Amino acid sequence: MSKFQVDKVMREAILDPKVASAFKADTEKFLEGRDLTEAERKALIDVDYATLYRLGAHPFLLNGFTRLVWKGDKAALNAEYRKNIAPFGYPDFST
Amino acid sequence: MAELVEIMGISHSPNFPGQIAEPNPEPAIVEAARDYELMRQRMASTKPDVLVVIASDHLNQFFMDNMPTFLVGKAPRAEGPFPHEMRTFGIAPYRANVEVDVAKNMLQLAPKMGVDFSFSDEFRIDHAFTVPLNFIRPEMDLPIVPIFTNVMAPPVPPAQRFFEVGKAIRKIINELPSNKRVGVLSSGHLAIEIGGPKEGRSSSDPEFDRRMMNLVGRGDVENVIEEATWDRMMASGNVTPGFLNFVLLMGLADGKPPSVSGVRFPKSKGSVPYMAWDSQPGVLP
Repeated sequence: MSKFQVDKVMREAILDPKVASAFKADTEKFLEGRDLTEAERKALIDVDYATLYRLGAHPFLLNGFTRLVWKGDKAALNAEYRKNIAPFGYPDFST
Repeated sequence: MAELVEIMGISHSPNFPGQIAEPNPEPAIVEAARDYELMRQRMASTKPDVLVVIASDHLNQFFMDNMPTFLVGKAPRAEGPFPHEMRTFGIAPYRANVEVDVAKNMLQLAPKMGVDFSFSDEFRIDHAFTVPLNFIRPEMDLPIVPIFTNVMAPPVPPAQRFFEVGKAIRKIINELPSNKRVGVLSSGHLAIEIGGPKEGRSSSDPEFDRRMMNLVGRGDVENVIEEATWDRMMASGNVTPGFLNFVLLMGLADGKPPSVSGVRFPKSKGSVPYMAWDSQPGVLP
């Protein structure tokens, strides 16, 4: 588990629109060389927020990050997000 | 010797300024805006020369690569919030000079009072500083000394430690080698969840909010420290540890009950608390 590295990716995208654009344009390339597990890498590529949440991504960052890079219907995202992460309760997000 | 003239705690919700600006804000928002205007008057009436501003950073400036628990900012200027916060919430910027001599003196006095602050000569202040400063000192004419607390990245110190650091800051202010009038402004919040399953439109735990504000209002330090544990706060909402900045204020007030305190419960977002300790007749009822 490399929660710190996942949090770092999310924070970089939140802080800098150019980073967010680079992440969205080619996520696999953006993540090259980063010390992530395969599960974390895949979840970031798929913007699989439920898996990132389950793996212990910081929820405050995950919230902002998901809204920033989400390519689907943003209006529906809030309700779907809550429903999809609910089964995982409150994973430990300490790094 | 400096004089501590006011201790004040309010919310730093980045949504609140926008809620006030809506064409027809709900009654609780109108009442909370009135509370904050009275708090502005209250701070102004104490005629501070400098504001010590104690707030958290939301992983904008400080991150888990290098995370200070309690940090004094001593760069000559403080400015914020971060561009993405202005884009997301439409909140106003804030700029202030930093009272560098006071910041340096605080750092030098702190070890004697049992606190080893980190320090920074290059930083930006996020919405936890700029939102309350824009409410309480919109003129941007007072120098500040920013103190950053970590309430976001566990391990976060327990409430007892926040209380002790508040007591230490009180002693430090009393020993500052100047005649300055020092106002303290802190920001935090009550129960709130962001990015978790309980996130909703209002407080994630109104019962926690009522209970804690009741204890704060009575100056019941013992029960606040016993009840505001990490687990209890996380059960109330995953960002609730921002409450710890108010526990620090209880220490700054030496455990005395505030002159005035209260909380509003808007339906549209988290609850909006206020608290102030002063030595003068206040402007609040």
